[in-house]
Amino acid sequence: MTLLELHDVTAGFGAVTVLHGITMSVAEGSIAGVFGLNGAGKSVTMKAIGGTVPARSGQVLFEGEDITRLSPEKRVARGMGHVPQGRQVFPQLTVEENLRLGAYTLRRKDKGRYGPALDSVFDRFPVLKQRRQQLAGTMSGGQQASLAVARALINQPRLILVDEPSAGLSPVAQLELREVLQVVKDSGVTMVLVEQNIAFGLSLVDTAHLLQTGVVVHTAPVSELDDDTLATHLGIGKVLAGATGSALSARKGSKR
Amino acid sequence: MGQVLVLGLINAGIYAVFALGVVLVYRGTGVLTFAQGEIGTLGLYVAYVLVTEQHLPWLVGAAGALLVTTALGAAFELLLVRRMVAADPVSTAVLTVGLGLTILACEFFFFGASPRVLDPPFLAASFTVAGVVVTPTQVAALVVALALGFGLQAVLRRTDFGLGILAASQDAAAVRLVGIPLSRITLVLWSGGAFLAGLAALLVEPTVGTVTPGYASELFVVGLAAAVIGGLTSLPGAVVGGVVLGIAESAASRYLSDANIPGLRYVTVFAVLLAVLLYRALAPELRRRLAPAPAGATA
Ligand SMILES: Nc1ncnc2c1ncn2[C@@H]1O[C@H](COP(=O)(O)OP(=O)(O)OP(=O)(O)O)[C@@H](O)[C@H]1O
Ligand SMILES: [Mg+2]
Repeated sequence: MTLLELHDVTAGFGAVTVLHGITMSVAEGSIAGVFGLNGAGKSVTMKAIGGTVPARSGQVLFEGEDITRLSPEKRVARGMGHVPQGRQVFPQLTVEENLRLGAYTLRRKDKGRYGPALDSVFDRFPVLKQRRQQLAGTMSGGQQASLAVARALINQPRLILVDEPSAGLSPVAQLELREVLQVVKDSGVTMVLVEQNIAFGLSLVDTAHLLQTGVVVHTAPVSELDDDTLATHLGIGKVLAGATGSALSARKGSKR
Repeated sequence: MGQVLVLGLINAGIYAVFALGVVLVYRGTGVLTFAQGEIGTLGLYVAYVLVTEQHLPWLVGAAGALLVTTALGAAFELLLVRRMVAADPVSTAVLTVGLGLTILACEFFFFGASPRVLDPPFLAASFTVAGVVVTPTQVAALVVALALGFGLQAVLRRTDFGLGILAASQDAAAVRLVGIPLSRITLVLWSGGAFLAGLAALLVEPTVGTVTPGYASELFVVGLAAAVIGGLTSLPGAVVGGVVLGIAESAASRYLSDANIPGLRYVTVFAVLLAVLLYRALAPELRRRLAPAPAGATA
């Protein structure tokens, strides 16, 4: 079943059009990857899905319903969660307060569900439980990344939009983050994942959407992607493509 | 000395309440609001109509004043600020200047330039501290300022929406991404700021007993300076700024009154503001230069 669909979505700022007609669909329970160079419009695509940069034309469908005109807040209430680029945790609030805000719409619907939701997040992220009273801004980058993911998950979304989660993380922290995102996926949450780090992204996603200046130029299941396609559409040279190759062959071998 | 302190603290509360309104709006929206003084004065005219003209009790007049100022803040947000979402904070700040001037014009139009009498609530209840006559509203101003400055944050933390207000002052965009309606937060902040402006004016009016157009604006300018001294984003800082300016001002008028400086109040406020801003600008550099020196050598 398709959870999210974009039909010919355009969006931009003032006189500038950034997205020139994005079409993609995301199957329930899958991870859709969005890849492209800096400035290709990956984040703006995420914002068009989330509603903070509303689509100027085209349609955004969520669970089969047209949400193109819905405010970002309403979309969250309907089951979207965000792990924005740069994480954007609230630096001067504690870990627990960040999580409480993450569960804002859950708590409004039913306060009783918050306790169990908090427990399950703490089970998944023991480091957050240890540091529940710490100000979010004083944690390490990796811990803040965990908090950003946890803040989205605690609201029990059906879809989470994750924008460049690995940026600025050490290799160890990246591995941990990968684990976390894999667990999220296995729990049945659908995900749209934007990554600059192609190897990191390809190790997780089911389908890749390659973006160039606001247009999806290529869509394929990861199993059908090869280095040449990546090199052509992302304009990356053979050196980098070689690095992604191992991620690709690993994915093909594992046949997930 | 005691007299200087008491006189200083009397004004400090008023400055601080004005400063708190500025900080509240600035923290949550990034906009510096310049209309607070005129909003407060407008509230006093509402109280004047209710109390002096309609002979209603003072508290009814005060409630009316707070209602009108709060509603004005809300209307300002709903009708103007909200439509300028794409505008930068400076444009919105200029809009608040326009609001202040509009209110001022209305005050002149409806009430004229001559002072209107608004009697204080509890005339007989004043008492003397260190040789200074202190009225209950003056004490109330200080208590309100301290309670808001040091308690508001804690109160906000208790509810999800209040926590959302604090979060909005740290990252407004992220607030929407967790599903909190940002527009409701800005509505509350602008209304709250206007409420505080009305409150500050009500707390100071009994000391003078009359209202004129632009009445509270002079005090507001000092309140604005207090907010800046407190760092613009800190509620306790705003109160500290108010206290510093209140005491500096009463000390100046006590010890420099022979010097016959015109506009001594503003000269003092400006001098303190300048000193604080200069210190803030230069402190990192000073610290850097002094750092290698052994402790004690700097004393
Ligand atoms: N708020 C904005 N106002 C004007 N232009 C913007 C704004 N945000 C993004 N853009 C423009 O839209 C284009 C796409 O930006 P976007 O942030 O989506 O890139 P991206 O693919 O996410 O890149 P990166 O990998 O660097 O995050 C860029 O040309 C950018 O300058
Ligand atoms: Mg981006």
